[in-house]
Amino acid sequence: MNAPLTLAHYMTLAGLLFLIGVFGALTRRNIIGILMSIELMFNAANINLAAFDRFLHPQGVTGQALALFVMTVAAAEIVVGLALLLAIYRGADTVYAEDFNLLKG
Amino acid sequence: MLEQIVFWSLSALVLLSALGVVLQRNAVHSSLFLGLTLAGVAGIYGSLGADFLFGAQVMVYVSGIAVLVMFVVMLLGRASDLHLRQVNERWTAALLVCAVAAVGLLKVARLHSATSVAGAARPSTREIGRLFLGEWLVPFELISLVLLAALLGAVFFTRTEKA
Repeated sequence: MNAPLTLAHYMTLAGLLFLIGVFGALTRRNIIGILMSIELMFNAANINLAAFDRFLHPQGVTGQALALFVMTVAAAEIVVGLALLLAIYRGADTVYAEDFNLLKG
Repeated sequence: MLEQIVFWSLSALVLLSALGVVLQRNAVHSSLFLGLTLAGVAGIYGSLGADFLFGAQVMVYVSGIAVLVMFVVMLLGRASDLHLRQVNERWTAALLVCAVAAVGLLKVARLHSATSVAGAARPSTREIGRLFLGEWLVPFELISLVLLAALLGAVFFTRTEKA
């Protein structure tokens, strides 16, 4: 616990957060839960970008700027995702992913 | 020493509340845990010296996305959802996928176990502003178009037919 922090600590944290997100996206039935898990994955990637910026390129800010782009795209993604979910809920009356089979014919 | 205390406590907060997001049966509790996770990630940014990212995370994620998700959770769903399974029957396969990916990710992380920090962190807001309005002007303008498209898409998808 007293060892100095290295890039490996932050990468491990981001990796575990990403895997928790993957597990949630694969197993949640509720589609809002899937969207929340996807947000966890975006955040894991952002932690990695900020950590690379701090440890590998301490004189630049490119990693942080890239993380801001990821954040913007994540915000756009969740807004459109939730709007689509509301539209589907109005017709199908369910929030469970396995019931969304409108295109099955 | 202080750094280590901050890192380990924030890591525990982030990972435990992320597990709460994924495993909670009640979607409202999940979304509250999501807010806690995002706030913990903001703290990690702070400990990495990314001050603008810290502010943006608190403004965009904790007070924007988490609240939006909470609204939608309360708008949809019913009380009977609390008695239903919230996890599908293929969770063992998903666990296996995650275990295999964990081995790979931890191997990659171990490559950097000797990379330690060089020098103190500097405030980054000024440099980010210069980068966005100079070298990265085109992507910066494009991302505002993406946001506009998302805004229009959200309005388009949620409007009712009669109105």
